[in-house]
Amino acid sequence: MNRVIPLGILALAILAFATLMLVILPGIQIRTEAPTPGLRPYSEAELRGRAVYVSEGCVYCHSQQPRSLDQAPDGERGWGRASVASDYFYDQPHQLGTMRTGPDLQNVGARLPSEAWHMTHLYQPRALYDWSVMPAYPYLFEVKDKAAPGDVVVALPERYAPEGKVVVAKPRARDLVAYLRSLDRTFPAPPTAVRDDGYSEQGEPR
Amino acid sequence: MIRRKRTQAAPPDGPEETFEPYEEFRRIPLPVYWIAIALAIWGAVTLWDNAQAVGVGRQERAEQIEETPAAALNSGAQIFEARCSTCHQPNAVGVRSAIPPLAGSRFVAADPAVVVQILLHGIDGPIDVGGRTFDAHMPSFASVLSDAELARVATHVRQTWGGDRQEITAAFVRVQRARFAGRGAWRGGEELARVVDPALGPQPSAGPAVISAFADPAVLRLVNQGRGEAWACSSCHGAAGQGGANIPRLAGLPEGYIVKQLQDYVTGRRRNESMQTVAGALTDAERRGLARYYSGLRAPSTAKPELGGDVSRGEQLALYGDWSRNLPACFSCHGPSGFGVAPGFPSLAAQHPAYTASQLAAWVGGGRNNSDVQLMNEVARNLSDADRRAVADYLATLPPVPAVTQERR
Repeated sequence: MNRVIPLGILALAILAFATLMLVILPGIQIRTEAPTPGLRPYSEAELRGRAVYVSEGCVYCHSQQPRSLDQAPDGERGWGRASVASDYFYDQPHQLGTMRTGPDLQNVGARLPSEAWHMTHLYQPRALYDWSVMPAYPYLFEVKDKAAPGDVVVALPERYAPEGKVVVAKPRARDLVAYLRSLDRTFPAPPTAVRDDGYSEQGEPR
Repeated sequence: MIRRKRTQAAPPDGPEETFEPYEEFRRIPLPVYWIAIALAIWGAVTLWDNAQAVGVGRQERAEQIEETPAAALNSGAQIFEARCSTCHQPNAVGVRSAIPPLAGSRFVAADPAVVVQILLHGIDGPIDVGGRTFDAHMPSFASVLSDAELARVATHVRQTWGGDRQEITAAFVRVQRARFAGRGAWRGGEELARVVDPALGPQPSAGPAVISAFADPAVLRLVNQGRGEAWACSSCHGAAGQGGANIPRLAGLPEGYIVKQLQDYVTGRRRNESMQTVAGALTDAERRGLARYYSGLRAPSTAKPELGGDVSRGEQLALYGDWSRNLPACFSCHGPSGFGVAPGFPSLAAQHPAYTASQLAAWVGGGRNNSDVQLMNEVARNLSDADRRAVADYLATLPPVPAVTQERR
């Protein structure tokens, strides 16, 4: 190692170049983006639910970035239009995700707007889909003898319901469902919005 | 490679004190150059390709921006041809004893508010045109045409067949829209004459009002509150059965069709785990009750094209099919304007594109297998991916199913 200084400078330069191209320039590009018209800030309950989403690690199996029809049939799946940068205005940090073990959730609030459905599904996904690989979240719920007024009781098929008792959602489950139901970016994206055009092809998609 | 430089007079024992390790100059192996050059070319090509793609995407959207006003600038005659002529005929003479003529009709020649009100709310009831009585089922265009488009088509109709040169403005349509906001279809000529323009003369009466006569409390409870794992229907399908995303619109589907689908969910001929859970928790009587409820329900369209399909190709497929691909016209079975044919053929008009497209995919993929004589399986197999999106997007532009008298009770 008799050329430490040139080697060190080169390594730093490569790092600086990558930072410039991957962090700084995109940052400048999206810094001035205003929220997509129609996007509203999260309510307090939805923000608490978002924290639950983060802490339960939902992002490891669910993305929040529908692709354009040039890349994947996400629109036909009902997952919504391809997302644009300004859709994530109120998401800090965003929950884009990279894995699609489960479906994309960017517009789950439009696709599955039922609170009761989400409660059942979170408590025991197998109660609905016997092939589902999603973990159950029983610790977001409590089993009670009798529901108190104001409780959200989880509707369960007989074989998943505890005998003689009721399953009630804890506040964390209610917040999480409030967050999931708020995920609805089905409003149109302005044509000028910053987006991934890297796969656009001439003529009809595919 | 490190080699030892041998000094000439190395002592036989003891360490070499003059030893100095050094590295011989060696060229970088040629394959490394090749790989570096290949990577550089790959990088350059990727950048170029990406720049092209970004250009294409930008251009497509720029065209979209230009196109939108162009589509909105369709002339009244073009709108008439696309939206009205399938029933009223291109020369507006109607169909004997089924569709009233516009040419020479007193409704067209009357106060401009009449035509606009009919376009906005549709008609469900008997009307008298030129001495003949028609049992009218005109859809409402309020949710699928803008004020400006309605103004242009109304002007075209009145100028061409009403003999009135006066132009109807978008502002006039806006006022008319606000005038009876939220009401359902006009219940025949008698109500129009009474409320909008007495000059329409004597008109047949539609009989006693039956609106919201449906009030089976058990069914309404299922719709609004649900019961156990039969979650409330409205929690997904919307308060008016209008649906959204890939949740189907239920309002106006034929009663028999809904009952059959609920049965097929249970048997698995149509696969949807959530609906299987719901349908399995319902009794036969409840399924029938819900089917009756939703078939009688009328809701404005909330669907719009969203899959980027070619709407004119979709229109072509829906109206005429494409026999070069063995595709019959959608409307040859699903009824004119896709309003459905009870009990077997569901209405397609104003259905959400993601739902329509996903069902067409399900016919091919085996997720749905409940068509009599495998009819839809065959049709869906012959549709290309782009055609599927085109037809789904086109159907979303249609006005929702008009009221149907046979469902009155």
